[in-house]
Amino acid sequence: MSGRRVLVVAVAVTALVLGVGASLALGTIDVPLGTVVDALLGKAEEGPDKQIVLQLRLPRTVDAILVGAALGVAGALLQGALGNPLASPDVIGVTAGSGFGAILILLAFPGSIALLPVGALVFGLTAATLVFVVAWIGPDGGGSARLILAGIGIAALFAAGTTGLMTAYPDRVQSAIFFLAGGLVSDGWDGMKQIWPYFAVGLAFSVCLIRPLDRLALGDDVAASLGTRPRLIRLGAGGAAALLAAASAAIAGLLAFIGLVVPHVIRMAGGTASHGFVVPVSALGGAALLVAGDTLARTVKPPLELPVGPFMVVIGVPMFLWLLRKAV
Amino acid sequence: MLEATDVRVTIGGTPILHGADITVEQGELVAVVGPNGAGKSTLARAAAGIQKLTGGDVRWDGQDVRKLRGRALARLRAFVPQRPRVPAGVTVRDAVRIGRSAHIGPLQRPTAADRAATERAIERAGVERFADRMLTTLSGGELQRVQIAVGLAQEAPVLMADEPTSHLDLGATVSVARLLRRLADDGLGVFLVVHDLALAAAVADRVVVMSEGRTVASGPAESVLDSARLAEVWDVDASVEAGSQGQTALRVSWLGDQDMTRGSS
Repeated sequence: MSGRRVLVVAVAVTALVLGVGASLALGTIDVPLGTVVDALLGKAEEGPDKQIVLQLRLPRTVDAILVGAALGVAGALLQGALGNPLASPDVIGVTAGSGFGAILILLAFPGSIALLPVGALVFGLTAATLVFVVAWIGPDGGGSARLILAGIGIAALFAAGTTGLMTAYPDRVQSAIFFLAGGLVSDGWDGMKQIWPYFAVGLAFSVCLIRPLDRLALGDDVAASLGTRPRLIRLGAGGAAALLAAASAAIAGLLAFIGLVVPHVIRMAGGTASHGFVVPVSALGGAALLVAGDTLARTVKPPLELPVGPFMVVIGVPMFLWLLRKAV
Repeated sequence: MLEATDVRVTIGGTPILHGADITVEQGELVAVVGPNGAGKSTLARAAAGIQKLTGGDVRWDGQDVRKLRGRALARLRAFVPQRPRVPAGVTVRDAVRIGRSAHIGPLQRPTAADRAATERAIERAGVERFADRMLTTLSGGELQRVQIAVGLAQEAPVLMADEPTSHLDLGATVSVARLLRRLADDGLGVFLVVHDLALAAAVADRVVVMSEGRTVASGPAESVLDSARLAEVWDVDASVEAGSQGQTALRVSWLGDQDMTRGSS
């Protein structure tokens, strides 16, 4: 690995470690770092500090790491599979589908709020499935352009459904804003207990897709010459990205920004589009960005917890624009 | 090495190939020529196993192309497409390394032999001078040589190239033609789809002429590219002439009988 790439990995790991430390220590009540370490090692005395670290902040930090990593990887997979720098989980309809599923529960069935993660997950995956079915039927099925156009069509359908729900229940729209802006909650391990298998399967698939995506980067014909089936790889990458993005929406609402921007930042900073570098380092970068953003969202105006989406944008966009200006 | 007989392909309900035949042996450069829409590229893609057959038979080293799995097929032939994608953030060496992937298992790492094969492909294609540059910074001619290097890294006995010179200037065209001829002289089978009849006559051991989805002639250039066939297949008054030093020229009556004083070149 070149020195430049080693530096990018080192910066991402350092940012993640610092972010995790800050996330566990800071909040409405600040806990000394020594106590945090003791709590993690099982040496801390029983008391509110230990409870805050282990029962509230640790699960939330793990949520942030997993969701950030999953969205970074989902964006890297889709941008690689579609050969399109604008690709993100929005493109395959997951964001619009998850948004509709969550808003349906929040506005039409507010008594069943516990079903919100399931609604986001199920409708996110349903939207992606519809996109794949439409994109794979007919001549030239499975091509990048067809997939993107099918995604735009299906996403518009679910977005219209969401708008319809918000119009039908205007008095309850306030409760949906946090989900739409994207934000983590301190609900212990409950959310992750239901959703972790989707992250596990999505991330395992992503590892297997690294080398096929490198072949696809040289075009469908070169990939086919090398013994890869381009449409199958595109379907696999789309499926893995859909799992990761829908699972992320179930935990943290709509945070499309990470999937779009993080892989670009990693590619530009590392000076390579090799998926062996971009996929894992996008996971590190996405995790670091979301942990940092969530810590800011909790500590800027305590005890108020603000949605994390805008904070990530505040951290990520200046870095993105700086790299974009320098990119060849 | 390649034996394709009565190849038929239908795309979107439209028959494109109605019965095409071609063979390629190792150390032989076979040029496939024909007018636009004759089915040259479709024949190449069908023979390469990239385009589904609707009829006929394609065999690589005696094995049915429809039964060969991806990586096994990749070790028998390399296909260099007409318009490759040029991704950002990929160096020449990265691209050639990707060309080696048919020899590396899904969970294996490249071995010293794979790295040596990558360097050998870079050297054979003559791209070592710009091996560490990004693909996006290369000229059309340099890019085409890199695509051939990607194919060479597969170390397959046959290299198939679909119109590799169609967007190149004269110098780059000559450079790619010499490279392909040298590869054939070194023992590689080369399946070359090409528009330029003078180039085909200069480099090919055998020329296969296609017209309206069928192969209509196969043999040495001087016997299959005669004036009668050029008139029949391309509907032109032209002839391919060969000099004693390997030079070839295509003489065309551009304006037909209307103006013979300005008409030939």
